[in-house]
Amino acid sequence: MMERTHRVRRRVAATVCAAALVLPLTACDALTPGSAAAVPGPRSVPSSTAVPDGDITLRLQFADAPLMVDALIAAFEKGHPNISVEPQYKTFSDYVQNLKLTMTSDTAPDIAQYAVGMTDLAADGHILDLAPYREAYGWDRAIPPVSLDQLTAGQTSEATGGRALFGVPAGLSMTGIYYNKELAKKAGIDGPPKTVAEFENQLAAAEDADLTPLGVGALDSGGLHLWAALLNQLMPTDDYWDWVNGTKGATIETQAAVTASKLVIDWGRKGYYNDSANGTAQVDSTAQFAKGDSVFLVNGNWAAGQLATVMGDNVGFFPMPGEQASSPTVASGFSVSYAVSSRTEHPEAAGAFLDFLTTPEAGQIISDNGFMPPNPDAVKKPEGVLADIAEGHRRAVADDGITTFPDFAAPAMLDRLRSGVQKLIANRIDPSDYLDSLQDEWEEHHAE
Amino acid sequence: MPSRPPVQQPPDVRVRSTEVRVRSQGPRRRSSYRGYVYVLPAFAVYFCFAVLPALHTAYLSLFEWDGVTLGDWVGLGNYQEILQDPILRRSVLNALVLVVFFSFIPIVVGLAMTGLLARFRRPGMGAYRFLFMLPQVVPLVAVGVTWRWLYGDDGLVNQTFRAVGLDGVTRAWLGDFGAALIAVGLVGTWVLSGLCMMLFLSGVQKVDPSLYEAARIDGAGPIREFVSITLPHLRGELAVAMTVTTVAALASFDIVYVTTNGGPGEQTTVPGLLVYRLAFSEGKVGLAAALAVVLGCLILGIVYLINRLSRSES
Repeated sequence: MMERTHRVRRRVAATVCAAALVLPLTACDALTPGSAAAVPGPRSVPSSTAVPDGDITLRLQFADAPLMVDALIAAFEKGHPNISVEPQYKTFSDYVQNLKLTMTSDTAPDIAQYAVGMTDLAADGHILDLAPYREAYGWDRAIPPVSLDQLTAGQTSEATGGRALFGVPAGLSMTGIYYNKELAKKAGIDGPPKTVAEFENQLAAAEDADLTPLGVGALDSGGLHLWAALLNQLMPTDDYWDWVNGTKGATIETQAAVTASKLVIDWGRKGYYNDSANGTAQVDSTAQFAKGDSVFLVNGNWAAGQLATVMGDNVGFFPMPGEQASSPTVASGFSVSYAVSSRTEHPEAAGAFLDFLTTPEAGQIISDNGFMPPNPDAVKKPEGVLADIAEGHRRAVADDGITTFPDFAAPAMLDRLRSGVQKLIANRIDPSDYLDSLQDEWEEHHAE
Repeated sequence: MPSRPPVQQPPDVRVRSTEVRVRSQGPRRRSSYRGYVYVLPAFAVYFCFAVLPALHTAYLSLFEWDGVTLGDWVGLGNYQEILQDPILRRSVLNALVLVVFFSFIPIVVGLAMTGLLARFRRPGMGAYRFLFMLPQVVPLVAVGVTWRWLYGDDGLVNQTFRAVGLDGVTRAWLGDFGAALIAVGLVGTWVLSGLCMMLFLSGVQKVDPSLYEAARIDGAGPIREFVSITLPHLRGELAVAMTVTTVAALASFDIVYVTTNGGPGEQTTVPGLLVYRLAFSEGKVGLAAALAVVLGCLILGIVYLINRLSRSES
C-alpha cells in the first residue's frame, strides 16, 4: 500500500514538473514559430534608376556557375567603382535547403539567386517586388517576356498594379537530347528527329545496332527531365503552366500525362535505357555518354560545356520533338536569376547590378560560360553543340515554349517525381497511380 | 521490480521500520546531493543543448509551420497525419530491415572475429584490427560516396562479378528495386562490424586468463572455450553493441542520403531521411518535428527493451 502511494506521488510530481516545463513554453507568445520573422527594412523599390554616391557593399549569395558570377561582378564593378559586390558561394543543395532561413534572417544577403522556395518568400514579403524597376529600366525590352514571366511567382504587383517581378535572369537553361554523331551514323540515324514517332524509330534502330539507345541518370533528378520532355510535347502548354503555377482546378491526371508516362514505361520495357538508369546519377550518365556508352542522352544545357570539351564536334543537341513536325518546340527550362532581399539597405545599388545583367556585355560573359543570355541577339554566335542549343532555345522562345520544371508545382514535388519516374522506368507503377500521387501532393500544397 | 505479496504486520512494527529507514537515510541522502552538485555543470550543458532542443522540437510538432511565416497551432494533427502516411510506414519497415544489416550481422561478424583474434597472438594482428576499425574513422558521407562508386555500373563490385564469370549477377545495385535496400544495408555492415569487433575484443581482455588456462587443461577446444567463457563475459559489451548499432540503423540518414536518397521508388526511404526532407526541402517543419519525436520514442523504446533483456539475462 505504502509503496503504491509513493509511486503515485512520484508520478504526480513528475507530471507537475513536466507541466511546469511545458506550460511556460505554450504561454509564451514569442515562442510561436515564425513570430520573429517580421520584415524590417525597405519593402518597396524606388522607381528611379539613380544610384547614390558613397561606398556601398552588396552581398550576393548564389549556387550556380561561380566563374560566371565572378566575371559578371568584375565587369559590373568596373562600371560602378563605388559599389563592390561580395560573392558568397554555396553548393546547390546547401543553398536550397537553407534558403528560407537565410532570407528571413537579419543577415540576409542583398542579392540572392532565385530558387524554388522563393515563391513562398515572395508571398510573405521577404523578396522585393522589382516591378517599378522593370518600368524604369525598361527590362521588358531587354529580356524576352517568357523569361520574366517565370519570375512573377504568379502574383500581381502592389507597387504598379501590373505583374509582379521577383528576379532578373542571367543565363537561361533548357533540357533536351544530346546525340553522339558517330554512333548515330553507325545505327543509320541521319540527323535529329522531327517527331516523337521518328525519335522512337531512331531509338529502335540504335537498339538493333546493338548500342544503348538512351542514357538516363535517374538516381537523382535526371529521370524527371525525360518524363517532363515527353509531357511537354503531349500536354497543352497552358494546362501545364496552370498546374505548375497552382491555378485552382488544374490537374496532371490527364490523358496526355498518362500517354507520356506510358512512353517512359514502354521505352524501359523495350530496353532503350542504359541498364542501370535508376542507379546512375545525372553527372555519371553524362560522363558515360561522353565515353560513347549511349547514342542519345537526356540532360540540360548545363552539361554542354563539359560534353563539347570531351566530344568536340561529335556531339549534337535537339529539343524533344513534338507529335507532328509542325508542333511548337516546348522544353523545360529556367534561368539563373537573381532576387533582391526586402532587408537590403541598398535597393538602388542592387537594381543597378540587376540591370547590368541585361546588358550585351553581361550577355557575352553569360554566353562564354555555357549559358544562354536572356537576349541572344546581343552576343556572338556560338559554335558546335552550343549553337545547336542556342538554336533550339531560339525556337522554343519563339514558340513561347519554355516551361518551368514540374517540381516547381510544390516543394515536395521533386521527391514524388523522382521516386515516381524511377518506378515508371522499372515498370513498377501504373501511370494513373503515379499521376494520382503527384496530384495528391499538388492538392495538399495548394489547399489553402 | 518483482511484486511481493503484501505481508501483514502489526502497526507498531511498521512505524518503527519506517523510522529506522528514515534515520538510516540521513547521511546517505546528504552525500547523494553532493553527487548532484558534481554533475551539475555537465547536466547544465546537456540540458541546454540536448534537453531544451528536444522539448522545443516536441513543441514545434504541435504546429503547422513552413519555417518562415507564423505557425498555426494544430495540436496532435501532425501526429495523426504521420500515422496515416503509407510512405512513412514503409520507411519504418525499411529501417527495421536495416537493423538486421546494421546490428545483427555486425554483431555476429564481430563475435566471430573476436573468437579468432582473442585466442591467438600472432604478428600483424594490430594491423588487422586497424583495418577493421578503419571504417569507423571515415566520415559516413565519404563512406557513402565511395560505396556509390563501388556499386556503380562499372564499379568494383560489378567488375569483380564479371571477373569470376558471374555476368548475370551484375546490376546497378543502388538502382535495382530488389537489391537497393540490401546494398545500403551492407554498407552499414561494413561500417559497424569493426566497431563491434573492437568492443568485444576490449571485453575479452577483462577476462581472467586463468579461466582460459583452466578450460584448456580441461581439454576444451576453441569453440567450447568461446561458448563457455568468452561469450558469457561479453554480455555487457553485447548490450552496448546492440544499443549502438540498433540506434544507428533506426536513425540512419547519411549513408542512405548519399547513396540512394531513398530510391529507387521508396525502396530505401528511412524515417531519418523523411525528417530531413520534410523540414528542409518541403517546408513542413511541424510535421518533421512530429516525425522526429515519434522516431525518438521508437528508438528509446527499443533501447529500453534491449537493456531490459540484457539485464534480465545476467
